[in-house]
Amino acid sequence: MTLLRLESVSRRFPVGSSILGSRKYLAAVDGVSLNVEAGQTTGIVGESGCGKSTTGRIALGLDSPDSGRVLFQGSLLPRIGSKEWRSQRRQMQLVFQDTLGALDRRMTVDALIAEPLEIHAVGDAASRRQRVWELLQAVGLGDDQHMLYPHQLSGGQRQRVVLARALAPKPSLLVCDEPVSALDVSVQAQIINLLVDLQRELGLGILFISHDLRIVRHVSDRIVVMYLGRVVEQGRADVIIDHPAHPYTQALVSAMPRLPGGFDQYVPLSGEPPSATDRPSGCPFNSRCPVAQDICRQSLPELLPLDSKREVACHRVRDR
Amino acid sequence: MLNKSYKNSASLALLPAHGVPPSCANPAIKIADLTVAFGGVPVLHGVDLIVGKGEAVGVVGESGCGKSVTWRAVLDLLPRSAEVSGEAWLGDFDLVGARSSVLDRVRGGRIAMIFQDPAGALNPVHRIGAQIAEALRLHRGLTGPAARAETRRLLDQVGIADAASRVNAYPHELSGGQNQRVMIAIALAGRPELLVADEPTTALDATVQAQILLLLKKIQQDTGMALVMISHDLAAVAAICDRVCVMYAGRIVEAGSTHTLLTAPEHPYTRDLIGAIPPSCGPRIRLTAIAGAPPQRHLPPGCAYSPRCRDAVAACAVARPQARQVSAGHSVHCLKAAAER
Ligand SMILES: Nc1ncnc2c1ncn2[C@@H]1O[C@H](COP(=O)(O)OP(=O)(O)O)[C@@H](O)[C@H]1O
Ligand SMILES: Nc1ncnc2c1ncn2[C@@H]1O[C@H](COP(=O)(O)OP(=O)(O)O)[C@@H](O)[C@H]1O
Ligand code: SF4
Ligand code: SF4
Ligand SMILES: [Mg+2]
Ligand SMILES: [Mg+2]
Repeated sequence: MTLLRLESVSRRFPVGSSILGSRKYLAAVDGVSLNVEAGQTTGIVGESGCGKSTTGRIALGLDSPDSGRVLFQGSLLPRIGSKEWRSQRRQMQLVFQDTLGALDRRMTVDALIAEPLEIHAVGDAASRRQRVWELLQAVGLGDDQHMLYPHQLSGGQRQRVVLARALAPKPSLLVCDEPVSALDVSVQAQIINLLVDLQRELGLGILFISHDLRIVRHVSDRIVVMYLGRVVEQGRADVIIDHPAHPYTQALVSAMPRLPGGFDQYVPLSGEPPSATDRPSGCPFNSRCPVAQDICRQSLPELLPLDSKREVACHRVRDR
Repeated sequence: MLNKSYKNSASLALLPAHGVPPSCANPAIKIADLTVAFGGVPVLHGVDLIVGKGEAVGVVGESGCGKSVTWRAVLDLLPRSAEVSGEAWLGDFDLVGARSSVLDRVRGGRIAMIFQDPAGALNPVHRIGAQIAEALRLHRGLTGPAARAETRRLLDQVGIADAASRVNAYPHELSGGQNQRVMIAIALAGRPELLVADEPTTALDATVQAQILLLLKKIQQDTGMALVMISHDLAAVAAICDRVCVMYAGRIVEAGSTHTLLTAPEHPYTRDLIGAIPPSCGPRIRLTAIAGAPPQRHLPPGCAYSPRCRDAVAACAVARPQARQVSAGHSVHCLKAAAER
């Protein structure tokens, strides 16, 4: 069953001032379509500024697209701030990257986890206490941690609190935006395992956003690769990673340090992602693409099925 | 401060064979029994490490294991409150306790260091060309046209295209990856024998991380400079280093060639670090989640890893494991690894 569906979603932001002449815009997200199935994970990967977080916020109804639609369990997301939206919000929760300061530092772990239950008025006081206790267990926070304050916790423990708060209202969809990017590999592994277990137990659908392809590969059933606001390739996770078809996906896969192997499959890719304000015309990747031709600077390639397992947006994907 | 260069290097013959490359008659640096304490609390408990000339050595371990403190102690970059003892021989100089006039010449000259946050390390109000030229003046006495030509050559070497116009840019006009390239250019200005890169790519995007790591590798190979690469990500370190040292709780617990460490790791911590990294191909197996965290202020008795170690036996909590030589250049601190043979 499709839990979440984005259809040709676009979002642009004004840049600079509008005093002189017409206002300029940057296309943060441009015609993105994707699905999250119940109980499964769709991963979004791409370098910073490619529109991952904006897509995540739109998926949660925290931001509205300029065009396109978002369907949750088959119906359109209600208007932001409306009563229906607030009740719907319980179903969809955000797990963000915890940098210190995101959690209220005057609240204990207990209170932080109880807060979303109080906001959504879940049950009575006694049942809420019971639920907080269950959540502490579920995310692996011990009896000696529930009365601590955020600054007394390690990075991994704070990320567990963030996860517990998201799970509190029993959502069916989690949008995880770089949930482990600030953590050591050992702690990343703890949180990733926890997420995988919770998903299996609770049947959660997950939209997992990260710039780290190794982690996205590990958690995802489907992968969406973004570049400058556009989806350049998407499909089954194993196919995308083992046989990437888009030159950008190929570069991303080759830039993963392999263990063992290192960069033995590295395909040199020049430059860095341009800022969304100066996206090249035609294919957004043409300024870095090792196989770009004239057509790539003239027209924008459409995302088209390459085989039954994935879609690719590249003029040259069939000649190579 | 006392100049300790009277110490003779003969004592180094007694060094435990630990963190030592198989053949290293001519090291870039020899660190022996280095300890660091802050306010009486020890955080480094005797680090022995030799980096050969032109060698690339990786240092891995979780946050707080002492990776940065080791190298900051060597370069006297720690706050005054730090109590440092031990030895760090750069040729005939022991840098530990050396006069600051000696250290000033060494820092940025014979040894250079780059960090995770290049934008923070660069001066925001000076053009990048001027910052490189300043390093050239300081360490090589270059000025005028010679400095300008060398600045452009360095920018070329670190892969900044269009060097002639980029010299006039300010750090905020450049991306994180380009600023890190500028930091590398400044580090190279003194023609160092050793470059210490402390998590140089942690803040960068995937394709840029690969570019920077491979750039460091290429410079190490082209110039014969030694490279120490510090990271919590064993895969990133292994990709460019000949040898890897694994640190835990202020000690090196295993050291060996990259190939040996990846294919035949002996220390349970090394195995756990490998298992924590999501594999980039093959089936998606469950990750190794190392329970808990490294000890904070006080070490547990016996092996510091024993509270988290899945292989621990009763003896592990009693005696601290001594270094054991598994094979030439491969050493490990683990009671069980030692007992198994
Ligand atoms: N509220 C905003 N106002 C203006 N620009 C924005 C805003 N949010 C995001 N952007 C821009 O949109 C682009 C995509 O941003 P984001 O979705 O955060 O990317 P990612 O999460 O992939 O790093 C970037 O160029 C960013 O600067
Ligand atoms: N300036 C300082 N004052 C007190 N303790 C410090 C200082 N710098 C580092 N430490 C402590 O020393 C230990 C090692 O730190 P560090 O070398 O930075 O670890 P890492 O392996 O992450 O680089 C940690 O426990 C850290 O808290
Ligand atoms: S359309 Fe052209 S520029 Fe874009 S990825 Fe394909 S070949 Fe490269
Ligand atoms: S000495 Fe014991 S506790 Fe320490 S790493 Fe070896 S087996 Fe584990
Ligand atoms: Mg983001
Ligand atoms: Mg460090």
